[in-house]
Amino acid sequence: MSSDASIPPSRVLVVGANGFVGRRLVEALTREPRLQPVAAVRGHRRPAVAGVEVVQCDATDPTAMQQALAGIDYAVNCVAGNDAAMVAATNVLCDAARRSGLRRLVHLSSMAVYGGATGLVDEACIAVRPVSGYGMAKHACEQAVRDYIADGGTAVILRPGCIYGPGSEQWTGRIARLLRAGRLGDLGADGDGVCNLTYIDDLVAAIVLSLIRDEAADETFNIATSDPPDWNFYLTRFARALNATPVQRLSGRRLKLETKLGAPALRLAAIGTRLARLPIQVPDAITPSLATLFRHDIRLDVHKAAERLGLGETSLEWGLAASARWVAGLRPEPSAQQHDLVVEARQR
Amino acid sequence: MIGDARRIVRDAVLTADICIVGGGAAGIALALRLRDSGLRVLLLESGGPSEDKATQALYEGEVADEALHSPPDKYRQRRFGGSTTIWGGRCVPFDPIDFDARPWMPYSGWPISHETVARWYPEANALVEAGACDYDARTAREGGLRPVIAGFNPREFDVDRIERFSCPTDFARRYRHRLETTQQVRVLLQANVTRLRTSADGARVDSAEVRTLDGNRFQVQADQFVVATGGLETPRLLLASNDVHAAGIGNARDLLGRFYMSHIAGTMGSLRLHGAAVWHGYDLAEDGTYCRRRIALSEEAQHTHALGNMVFRLHHPRIPDPNHRTGALSAIYLAKHLISYEYGKRLTGDGPVTAGLWLRHVGNLMTDPFGAARFLAHWVRHRTLAARKFPSVIIRPRADLFSLDFHAEQAPQPDSRVTLGHSVDAFGMPRLRVDWRYCELDVRTVATGFALLRQEFAESGLGELKLEPSESDIEAVVRRDGAYGGHHIGTVRMGDSRATGVVDANCRVFGVNNLYVAGSSVFPTSSQANPTLTLLALALRLADHLHARAARPIEVGQVPRVSRVGSYA
Repeated sequence: MSSDASIPPSRVLVVGANGFVGRRLVEALTREPRLQPVAAVRGHRRPAVAGVEVVQCDATDPTAMQQALAGIDYAVNCVAGNDAAMVAATNVLCDAARRSGLRRLVHLSSMAVYGGATGLVDEACIAVRPVSGYGMAKHACEQAVRDYIADGGTAVILRPGCIYGPGSEQWTGRIARLLRAGRLGDLGADGDGVCNLTYIDDLVAAIVLSLIRDEAADETFNIATSDPPDWNFYLTRFARALNATPVQRLSGRRLKLETKLGAPALRLAAIGTRLARLPIQVPDAITPSLATLFRHDIRLDVHKAAERLGLGETSLEWGLAASARWVAGLRPEPSAQQHDLVVEARQR
Repeated sequence: MIGDARRIVRDAVLTADICIVGGGAAGIALALRLRDSGLRVLLLESGGPSEDKATQALYEGEVADEALHSPPDKYRQRRFGGSTTIWGGRCVPFDPIDFDARPWMPYSGWPISHETVARWYPEANALVEAGACDYDARTAREGGLRPVIAGFNPREFDVDRIERFSCPTDFARRYRHRLETTQQVRVLLQANVTRLRTSADGARVDSAEVRTLDGNRFQVQADQFVVATGGLETPRLLLASNDVHAAGIGNARDLLGRFYMSHIAGTMGSLRLHGAAVWHGYDLAEDGTYCRRRIALSEEAQHTHALGNMVFRLHHPRIPDPNHRTGALSAIYLAKHLISYEYGKRLTGDGPVTAGLWLRHVGNLMTDPFGAARFLAHWVRHRTLAARKFPSVIIRPRADLFSLDFHAEQAPQPDSRVTLGHSVDAFGMPRLRVDWRYCELDVRTVATGFALLRQEFAESGLGELKLEPSESDIEAVVRRDGAYGGHHIGTVRMGDSRATGVVDANCRVFGVNNLYVAGSSVFPTSSQANPTLTLLALALRLADHLHARAARPIEVGQVPRVSRVGSYA
């Protein structure tokens, strides 16, 4: 993009700017000459990125959202949190957008909307039961966005897989702790499910492309690696990158103990320590839904994102190395320049 | 899909693009590899999900010399997963020299190169879950594996080659769910193929006759058939399918069932080390697999001395001999009745079990109770309860006295063979008669290998290797364990032409257009290596070949495909 000094950059409101994806997105947007991030954060916390314009806004408050959208060209919905709040915030955002002159809304959904679907799954695929509570909530959010499109708005829906990389508490931090504790490793038949990984920077790139590409308007895209490994491969490789070796081979019996006995006990312990305000970090649970995901044979078809968005892809090797560096706390990420070297544009 | 042959409509005709006979390592690997090929695959497995006496009895047969070869229903399992349900998990690739025509090794030389097979080792290695496909002691683990004997750098042996271990992976348990969720592959359990029926000119297999033990029967028609029933059962089925081919399918040149090889293996000698640091156990690679160095006779030494391929491993002393004074070893000896036939066989001593012998073992246990307890605790934790099992008994002998495990190539010879016997099984199918033989070269390989190693130790000054009571007894050592374990090799050998082999370089039976064989029975020579990894590599390669062949358009003049009578899809 050539930057033209005479045109002021478009203002992009990032809703949920203090979350994992939101923060990374704000950071990336500061590097885009024609886009200017505005971080919408709840309460009085400042976003981690210095020098970025901040609006304080409770995403479930219609008036606050209306004000936040004033003078905004684009909005990205990165709101996380409990299921009900997520749905409420998305409805509020879409309603406010109807009256704000917003040019485009990019909404972050999830592969969870496909529920128990198996095999190669493209964006037209219909959800298969069982769909988790989170998946139902994400589905309700998508419905709000689709209604917004039907009512004349312009929006893009992105469905990432498991977002990993520096900053990912769920698929990098938690998994690393479990690998280091020897509680995850090579799971045998229980880890044969497809690991639909989305590297955080690839998702951020997809969001930026969704903002500026005409072809993206009113479309839905799966965002994940085109050649996903199985979970055993991800877990084993990540353990090796973390030096959590030798990698443990865990029996099905042991995984059952974790999900049936360990997970409920750890949940109780977590509630207990929270109520008693004990400064104790309760170990992560391997929940039944996590164990189900490790076996789930679903592969996201990502052709559309490659073709319409021209989205590139970070190699697993690179992603794991960056993840391990982040976990080790050495440095947060490789430099953007180095990163560009390993992003291969998928040319189809 | 996994179904039951007993539920198939009687006398029905099932069709498939590819019919695989046998659901063991090779058959399951083929089916998994063909899963996404778009071809309809039907895998017929005789057994069910667990061992069944009546099914296992179908393996019974005769043995010419019971001292040399176990009964044919031992060391193999007629059930889903085949013998991977009981295997030890040792994985070793073949060496380049194994594929060469060697002047001193009769009938040696493969029609395919080492590279052709080696290309498939990484995928085979992944399938058996043996970690990275790295068989070099210097790189398989960060910093390398520990040396077996510090400072021992023999000239005639290579000490940097390793073996890796599978979990050991039971293919049925591990991959069942993948086969269950695949629509393109149908597995039928309890399906015994008793005969392959060929066209009148014998040029193609038209159908497989399937029977179940409860009296059901039906047929399977397929474009291509693969027999993957192991090194003993494959020649049996081909020999018994003799209605058009009078001597059995693929046996026009009387090669089928011949060249039967196993490995020449056992434990021998006593090595007394003079204080060198020793590590005869396993190292764990970063990926969690157990790895172990071997002392391998170098290719140069094989050329120089005109020997077969062989390896040694440093081993604890022979368990039946109480002179080791080691409590844990005596505990194993005393518990040998609790150990399965396959693993207990080597615990049988040379002489009769006398009260004195028994008492000496009890004495060892009494004087070394903590050694035995330590071993037992380790075994329960890392073997019995572990998902990736500690591969074998590793015990540091109390006296610095070791023995040597050897595993040597057996030369192929036509007189070592399997034939159809006179008795029949429950289906009226002739039982197998096994006449396994070894030859002078086999004894010489072990004797010379041993002598070379003894010389290396003497020259290095690190230790002293002896064969007791006398070195002239080496043939007795070879005979003691006879045809070793469950390695059934060479009975359907691969050759350049029908004059030298039963199958061609693509594992297709000479003279039969659509019949293939997967398994160690096609190996022309036996190597020092255990056969599973290589038979898997060949099975994966065969899957690709079948896929490519099925995708080829029909050529002019080719017989059109049989019209489909019924379909399971």
